[in-house]
Amino acid sequence: MKYFRVLPLLAVALAAALPGCATIPTTTGAGTDAATAIIPELAPDQQVSIRWESYNLASAGIFGDTTRGLVAEFERLHPNIHVDAVPPQGSANEIAQSVQRQVIAGNPPDVGQLTFADLRYTASDLGAQPLDTLVGRDEVQKLLTDGPHPYAPRAAVLGDVDGTTYGIPYVFSTPMLFINADLFRKAGLDPADPPQTWDEVAAAAAAIAKVPGTSGGAYLGCLDAASGGDWCLTGIVRSAGGRLLSEDGKKISWADPASVAAFDGMRRIAQAGPNALPNLSGSDAQDAFLRGNLGMLLTSAALQNAILQSAAGKWQAAAAPMPGFGSTPAVPTNSGSALFVLTRDPAKQRAAWELIKFLTSAESETTITSNIGYVPLRASLIDDPAYLQSFADEHPGFVRPNVAQLDRLEPWVSYPGPNYQQIRTLLSKATEEIVFRGADPQTTLSAAQTSAQALMPK
Amino acid sequence: MTTDTTTRTATTTASTRTRRLDAVGGHLVLGAITVFSLVPIVWMYVTALRPRDDVLGQSVLPTGISLDNLRAAADLLPLGGLIGNTAFMAVGVAACQLFTALLAAYAFGRWHFRGERVLFLIFVATWLVPFQVTMLPNYILLSNLGWLNTLTGVIVPQITAPFAVLLLRQHMRSFPRELLDAARMDGRSHWNTLWTVVVPSLRGPLAALAILLFVTAWNEYFWPLLVLSDPASVVQIGLRSLITEAGTDYGAMMAAAGALCLPILAVYLLLQRQVVNAFVRSGLK
Repeated sequence: MKYFRVLPLLAVALAAALPGCATIPTTTGAGTDAATAIIPELAPDQQVSIRWESYNLASAGIFGDTTRGLVAEFERLHPNIHVDAVPPQGSANEIAQSVQRQVIAGNPPDVGQLTFADLRYTASDLGAQPLDTLVGRDEVQKLLTDGPHPYAPRAAVLGDVDGTTYGIPYVFSTPMLFINADLFRKAGLDPADPPQTWDEVAAAAAAIAKVPGTSGGAYLGCLDAASGGDWCLTGIVRSAGGRLLSEDGKKISWADPASVAAFDGMRRIAQAGPNALPNLSGSDAQDAFLRGNLGMLLTSAALQNAILQSAAGKWQAAAAPMPGFGSTPAVPTNSGSALFVLTRDPAKQRAAWELIKFLTSAESETTITSNIGYVPLRASLIDDPAYLQSFADEHPGFVRPNVAQLDRLEPWVSYPGPNYQQIRTLLSKATEEIVFRGADPQTTLSAAQTSAQALMPK
Repeated sequence: MTTDTTTRTATTTASTRTRRLDAVGGHLVLGAITVFSLVPIVWMYVTALRPRDDVLGQSVLPTGISLDNLRAAADLLPLGGLIGNTAFMAVGVAACQLFTALLAAYAFGRWHFRGERVLFLIFVATWLVPFQVTMLPNYILLSNLGWLNTLTGVIVPQITAPFAVLLLRQHMRSFPRELLDAARMDGRSHWNTLWTVVVPSLRGPLAALAILLFVTAWNEYFWPLLVLSDPASVVQIGLRSLITEAGTDYGAMMAAAGALCLPILAVYLLLQRQVVNAFVRSGLK
């Protein structure tokens, strides 16, 4: 058995050798291969095949079915363009990693649906093409602002990086405060007068948590960064006047006084009473709310259908806009994603642009909103009887408050550079320490900010 | 004498009592582990059989029995296709690993040559290399070959299993040398000897190993998840697709998981003895 002594050495040698084989540059840099001229139109009989990677296709049921239906309709309208619509490899919330792997392998999708948190990285490292150059600034603006139903102004710029449009906003939601009206009444509260400030949320949560049989008073999906919930954390911080990232995108500003005040506000909810803000994972909190055991849930408006279905006949669900700090109006942020052109082939780029135009049209948005529940980015669709008016009227407490938040929308922060995911993780850990373990917000955020700043591009 | 007998009897009685207490204690521990292992499976089937509006209920007994969750799962997922594809993938992986292990084990067990130990150690050392290290090179290779999103792409990078080589080599080394020499004197080729002499004699270990490899391949999660993306491909991806932005359809998830577990449960039920043997034999001699 003496030769087994050599085993660890061999293992180490192999382990050291193999990663070397995989050392492939991960940064393609949009700047080097980015489009420099407007791409030509396709000839009517020019056959083009493109691959679209969409995370909605990773979900069985209405998400995937709706997306496949849109692709079928697009192919019917554009018989010369074939779209191979595929879900990302790996888990649905790892689409940037999926695209990154394919970029490394030299075979990225032609069109990618990536989240706004990935925006800067997609533009700088995943090869997203600047649409302003690819199809012309006028063409991009025409898509976003022309016609009877333009994009909501604050939604129209969400795919921009430093003034250049890289992605066309596709599907997203704003945060809504969903309410269990029955638990409100049992706690002696009026569900018709839901909390409008975080202090009111704290008081209501403490009261609801005392109702026997509840899992807790409130849960904020924004605190569960592991499942991508940090999109609405940006909104909470902005509501307090703070920022997670400076306006020029170069400095982490978690420890600024206004940002610290936001985290302190969340901590006050957790400390308002036993179980006022239970330390649950996002999915556990969601299940508890759907069971009717949680008083309030701040989460994506996309959950509206699931909530209404679970509550039907058992408990009364209601919804309110995202609360703010004091009398200052809340600043909601968006979840969701934009569509990016990733291919370098001019014909495929033009086909990709045609697909993007179709997917973000008033007709497609009507299908997406009424089937899935995302907020319509062309806000005026909810007042047009030919589009979403009847749908909005059928769900009065949900659709219009969601759309109204578009007027005050601020973008989900996108940290620059290849370390952006680690930066998100640092903030997630700091948030958990402060809110659920009672750590001092200023000290914790200062330490996290120092670590995060070191991960930013120099 | 009487005192000795009495003492011996008392000692024997005490010893018997101790053994019984040990046995009872052991059975209690085993019983607890059994319950601990079974609860998730029972809960899965209980949830699968709950009415749709009671899926999130936390009572041990459902408010009623319903097949609606199974219907929902069948609507959302192609259950038959998922089982078929996963079975093909698991059988393919297990068969390839068994075949390559058999060839390698025969070579290592039959011949003694210069560098044999080093070569064997390199084989075994690959077992110790973490999957994460080889994942990306394998992924790029598959991409270049155009094998992403294919079952071939899942199977081919797994066609050798150092563990299987190690296990079979132990059996080959203890294989009677006389039989191999006799086969040689009969004028049989090595290929012929392998299939007509060695394989029939090693049928037990080979069957046990095949089961072990099949179960491991069936349960593999990460690699199929990386290579495949279509929810209609294999069980792993299909089940994951029930976790959506709008929450998880636990009823359909449990019904689908329950149905997709059945083939592997059938393997355990039908081949119980061989499965136990497989785990017993996997310990090195």
